[in-house]
Amino acid sequence: MSAYPNDPKKQLMRQVQQEAGMQNARLLVEKLNEHCFERCVPKPGTSLSKGEEGCYTACMEKYMAAWNTVSKTYVARIQQETQQAQQGGLRNSF
Amino acid sequence: MDFSGDAGSSLGNADLSKLSDRDKQELQQFVINESQRARIQSSIHSLTDMCFRKCISAGTVKTGKLDARYEEPCLRQCVDRFLDANMVVVKELERLRQ
Repeated sequence: MSAYPNDPKKQLMRQVQQEAGMQNARLLVEKLNEHCFERCVPKPGTSLSKGEEGCYTACMEKYMAAWNTVSKTYVARIQQETQQAQQGGLRNSF
Repeated sequence: MDFSGDAGSSLGNADLSKLSDRDKQELQQFVINESQRARIQSSIHSLTDMCFRKCISAGTVKTGKLDARYEEPCLRQCVDRFLDANMVVVKELERLRQ
């Protein structure tokens, strides 16, 4: 591994990771707004009310908690299935 | 992988042809790992989307915390049953193919 700061390999890796991080953030924002808008702003008024904003904050917190729960469950399941696949027949999907 | 947009332009400066074989191999493995991670992450997004709809009822988003008695187990079961169901589809298609 080279120590040059502008090592093209490192540069490429960093860029790929940044892109992936951006894509992840973009998706999260999109989903958050989709769900929370539906639930917190059923009838859009002339501006966002204090109540709607408060609802958004809580809704975001809840959505991210749900994301974490889903993530943990999904990753645990993948690990479990990978182990099984290594032991027995190959049946991997999704 | 998509290198379009702003990020792509600075990549043009990097001379990848000078990389050693070992570096190229390392990069290849890195890209494989990153794409797998991206795939898993995007599955998590769509699962959260679907299970949030099923498990979090309309009036309850105002409480920021997940309800440990109903909502959290519901989310976990939602993921597990979705994957079970996915397996049913795969097995059935496998059976039909034979």
